[in-house]
Amino acid sequence: MTPDVGPREAALRVTNLHKAFGSLDVLRGISLAAHEHDVIAIMGASGSGKSTLLRCINLLDVPDAGEVHVRGELIHMSFDRRGQRTPANPHQVDRIRTRLGMVFQRFNLWSHMTVLQNIVEAPIRVLGVPRRRAIEQADHLLRKVGLYDKRDDFPAHLSGGQEQRAAIARALAMEPEVLLLDEPTSALDPELVGEVLKVIDDLAAEGRTMLIVTHEIGFARAVSSRTVFLHQGMVKEHGPSRQILDEPRSERFRRFLSGGNWGRPALTTPSQTGESETP
Amino acid sequence: MTLDLHGYGWMLWRGLGLTILVGLGAMGLAVTFGLIGAWGKLSRYRVARWLADTYTTVIRGVPELILILLVYYGVPTLIQDLAASAGRDLRVDLNPFVAGIATIGLIYGAFATEVFRGAFQAVPRGQIEAARAFGMGRVLMLRRVVLPQMWRFALPGLGNVWMVLIKATALISVIQLEELMRSADIAARATRLPFTFFFAASLFYLGITIASMLIQRRIESWSYRGAPRGQS
Ligand SMILES: Nc1ncnc2c1ncn2[C@@H]1O[C@H](COP(=O)(O)OP(=O)(O)OP(=O)(O)O)[C@@H](O)[C@H]1O
Ligand SMILES: [Mg+2]
Repeated sequence: MTPDVGPREAALRVTNLHKAFGSLDVLRGISLAAHEHDVIAIMGASGSGKSTLLRCINLLDVPDAGEVHVRGELIHMSFDRRGQRTPANPHQVDRIRTRLGMVFQRFNLWSHMTVLQNIVEAPIRVLGVPRRRAIEQADHLLRKVGLYDKRDDFPAHLSGGQEQRAAIARALAMEPEVLLLDEPTSALDPELVGEVLKVIDDLAAEGRTMLIVTHEIGFARAVSSRTVFLHQGMVKEHGPSRQILDEPRSERFRRFLSGGNWGRPALTTPSQTGESETP
Repeated sequence: MTLDLHGYGWMLWRGLGLTILVGLGAMGLAVTFGLIGAWGKLSRYRVARWLADTYTTVIRGVPELILILLVYYGVPTLIQDLAASAGRDLRVDLNPFVAGIATIGLIYGAFATEVFRGAFQAVPRGQIEAARAFGMGRVLMLRRVVLPQMWRFALPGLGNVWMVLIKATALISVIQLEELMRSADIAARATRLPFTFFFAASLFYLGITIASMLIQRRIESWSYRGAPRGQS
């Protein structure tokens, strides 16, 4: 995929990303760009490197080659004494990470903190937002994701869907420029998927820039502007979601969409995501 | 039946006080050594790992009594010899109270090292990654995410270390510190009633243990706020 060079700086631009774990080449030259308000769905079989791609973007994994720009700012890399590629400036990485919200498959809420504490922690400690303002903002976000009544509960006392909504609120509290979501619903019981998809749908409607790894084909069609299909470490297919999800060009993607090579049936049909007649 | 202590009761109480003091001091030291040791064992640096492994291996391999005697008699000698070889005449006497705390702390620090190592590793990786993903630096992450949860996992193990440690303080009676064990011994010799005094001493130790268990339960239920239900 050639990076599309837009008139404006892309919110996020990934160029020629490579990552191997030992002899396993997971990413073999991935490029993509997300402009402001883009919602990009990332699909691919299990093990195709979707999580690794997101983790390389915020440097939880260090890519072996390639560049990441966040609104034009390049994350600088260098090599350590043993010749390992490593961020040149850890402070830059920390700062960039505050601009990239991350939502994990398994939520990863801090279990010793209440929902509210989870949400205000990084704004207060990392961004230096005054406590009162952080709490006001957290309460606003909690209402938005429908968790205000759970604000003083600990994560262990929430359902999976509630945990994931809390995790989304936690990411939003950083006011990130781009939100990275790694299979936000695949650890949830089927009946809890809808409530989380609804929240993400609302974010898309607000014009949030998002990269969403998902297996929910109906959801991707309804919510994402573009879809990227990863196969064997490369972008096998990409394009406007409606177009390529309805008419996949490659045989590989067609098989993936029909569930042929994917052990799990798609959980959600467009009607289940409900309120998403808007595009 | 009441226990007639023939006027030596005050001595046992004083010994009890000293035992608890030595125990608390040694525990504080053990926790400190334990944190450092666990940090060493989990370190990226090979030297740190090697030092920490050597520490726990040596402590586990040598009887506690010998370590106590080594520290109490050996360290002053060592210092004097070193001073002598530097041409200085130095007379060092180790206070048995300090020597006792230092040795017991050193010994149980090795056990605390293992407790803390396990506890650090029990902190869910995903929560550490979340901290990194939110731009927390190493120190902030350690302080706000890792340590608070690590304590929760370490508490049961530390409780065990404390129970064993408080009993092990009886060993330092060999360096003339009049803690509970030595007080009982002195009283037993003076009155020729060994059973009475050792039985009384054992009740004191048991009392400490029971009180410790109650306190530990309190602390644990407090620290388990928010832990998954099955865990608490
Ligand atoms: N830290 C690691 N060390 C070694 N191998 C890894 C590591 N992380 C990922 N891998 C391997 O890299 C490959 C891609 O993993 P990744 O998690 O990115 O896949 P994925 O597309 O997200 O899959 P899934 O749909 O199952 O989440 C897998 O084969 C995985 O085993
Ligand atoms: Mg994954």
